[in-house]
Amino acid sequence: MTRLARTSVWPGIALAAGVFALCLLVSLAFGPASLSLGEVWRFVTSGPVPGDLPNAIFWQIRLPRVLVACLVGAELAVAGVILQDLFLNPLTDPYVTGVSSGAALGATIGIVLHVSNLPWMTVLALIGGFLTLGVVWMAARRRGRIDIFVLLLAGVTISYLASAVVTVLMIRANQDMYAIVYWLMGSFSGRGWQDVVIALVAVPFMIAPLFFAKEMDILLQGEKRALELGVEVERTKRVLLVTAGVLTAIAVSVSGIIGFVGLVVPHIVRLLVGPGHRSLLPVSLLLGASMMGIADLLSRTVIAPNEIPVGVVTTFVGAPLFVYLLRRGRKG
Amino acid sequence: MSTTRPRRGLAAVILLSALVLAVVGAAALAGCGSDASAGGEASPAASAASDSSAPITVTDGAGATVTLQQPAARIVSLAPANTEIAYAIGAGDKMVAGTSYDDYPEEASSLPKTGDFANPNVEKIASFNPDLVLAAGGIQDKLRSKLEQLGMTVYVVDPKTYDGVMTDITNLGQLAGSMAQAQQVADAMLKAKDEVQAQVASLSRPATFLEIYSKPLMTAGGRTFIDDMITLAGGVNLGATAGSGFPTFSTEVLFKNDPAVYIADSGSMSQPGDISKRSGFAELTAVKDGHVYVIEDSIIARPGPRLAEGLQELVKMIHPEAAAAQ
Repeated sequence: MTRLARTSVWPGIALAAGVFALCLLVSLAFGPASLSLGEVWRFVTSGPVPGDLPNAIFWQIRLPRVLVACLVGAELAVAGVILQDLFLNPLTDPYVTGVSSGAALGATIGIVLHVSNLPWMTVLALIGGFLTLGVVWMAARRRGRIDIFVLLLAGVTISYLASAVVTVLMIRANQDMYAIVYWLMGSFSGRGWQDVVIALVAVPFMIAPLFFAKEMDILLQGEKRALELGVEVERTKRVLLVTAGVLTAIAVSVSGIIGFVGLVVPHIVRLLVGPGHRSLLPVSLLLGASMMGIADLLSRTVIAPNEIPVGVVTTFVGAPLFVYLLRRGRKG
Repeated sequence: MSTTRPRRGLAAVILLSALVLAVVGAAALAGCGSDASAGGEASPAASAASDSSAPITVTDGAGATVTLQQPAARIVSLAPANTEIAYAIGAGDKMVAGTSYDDYPEEASSLPKTGDFANPNVEKIASFNPDLVLAAGGIQDKLRSKLEQLGMTVYVVDPKTYDGVMTDITNLGQLAGSMAQAQQVADAMLKAKDEVQAQVASLSRPATFLEIYSKPLMTAGGRTFIDDMITLAGGVNLGATAGSGFPTFSTEVLFKNDPAVYIADSGSMSQPGDISKRSGFAELTAVKDGHVYVIEDSIIARPGPRLAEGLQELVKMIHPEAAAAQ
């Protein structure tokens, strides 16, 4: 642990930042409307120009979509790191807290009530996510402390409950079934600057955990040990859980439920840079953004003018990569 | 030894990916193959069915031959469109059950229910003891064999064109013994089509986009009766470039093609106001020229007699000048 802390984290972070920059550029350069690289460069330098349709394709369609995808990827990856390490459970992903199912329930209610698409669906999803976080929180609170174990179980239970209600609503509202199914599948299709703004709200919550990197490192040895070492365990847990909940709620409310990134990116990054949070958190943030950016690029280009659900792409890209790294990682 | 391990890992990974791809490929192929003939076709035997003792035989939308010894007296409908057809051809009094979504005509909503469109309950259907079950294609494909095993006669309404709907209507007229009224309904649909064809014959054909859903953006592809109706109404359906059925559609490609007319199915829950406010949409020709519309889902997405109304509405949207001149 002490040796880890002394090694510089910057080379790893710089490398991840480089990867992210590359992914961002590639995602912006390519798309189904096949703008030439020269055109893209011209749009970048000219800024948005009203009345110019190709310019609008870049500034109003492609750019906001890429930004939303990267932000959601980063949010899910950071939430995944926090929750896996707080629950000390490698199978944890951001969706176990029930926040995503709560958000899905909110969005489903929006669909069934036919609230207009923008931006109320997102707002209802956010409300659903936060309400669920509150319920799970209350269930896990005992005499002023949060029982992580109860929180996990309560989260999973609420998650099942919310999913059951979604299913009932889906059956009752047959005509809207497809809308609900597609929302649940997750997608960045049709996301614009409004969604970028909502996703940007999460940025402080992505940064905040960095200030708890040391506490998180120590918490890996268990709460009791952390207490002995003078960590304010309850305060740390409170901040981190709320942070992960907010990140998940915001991510899910703009994109729907996209699997795999929040589960696998933290594991991949642990294999690459180790469990120390000073590098694990920022590198996960950057690689989560990269992976989602590339997954969405594939989703919108491979079978254009159709789109592949992005969750399918994250799994196709992530699963082989993860299995490979797991095998390689075990060698050492 | 340690150097071979990563390679074995890699081999396992490649194997796994290949397996996944094979499964996905197989699923995609199965999807392509399942399209049966477009619309139902009346068989020659059916036209001779005026003799009440002869069996009635027609070919349904799945290409299957459907035979009844005598006109159906107890009909169960598994789709709102089928219910509409049954009432329109004067077989409403023979309807013994419908779906939870039947809302037209109004008396159809008080029919006993067999469940919803996606999950019809086989036991419940059997309990009505129907002599004819009117099913839909696609999601209900697997239902047919189950119902037939229980001894029920099933007619699948799954038209891919406007004319296919007319064929289904006359076929059901024969099966329900109300051919005269069915022919009237089909004739009215034909008349509407001919009038519309005359209106748009000499006009240019604007690129038209039909939104089924917005997030993700979905449209009506080729080999759908909606595509056929857009063509009949004098437009060119952008969605037809994206394959058949109801595919997702790239927003960038939508912009690249810059439709002159943008129509949202009311099932998408979109409003013209929301559509023009979406990121970048103000630059679309359809938005700039004010050709953004919402069309009622049940007159364009329900393959029944009211498609005639849907067709007339489409002309008003795609060719307002022609509709105004009428």
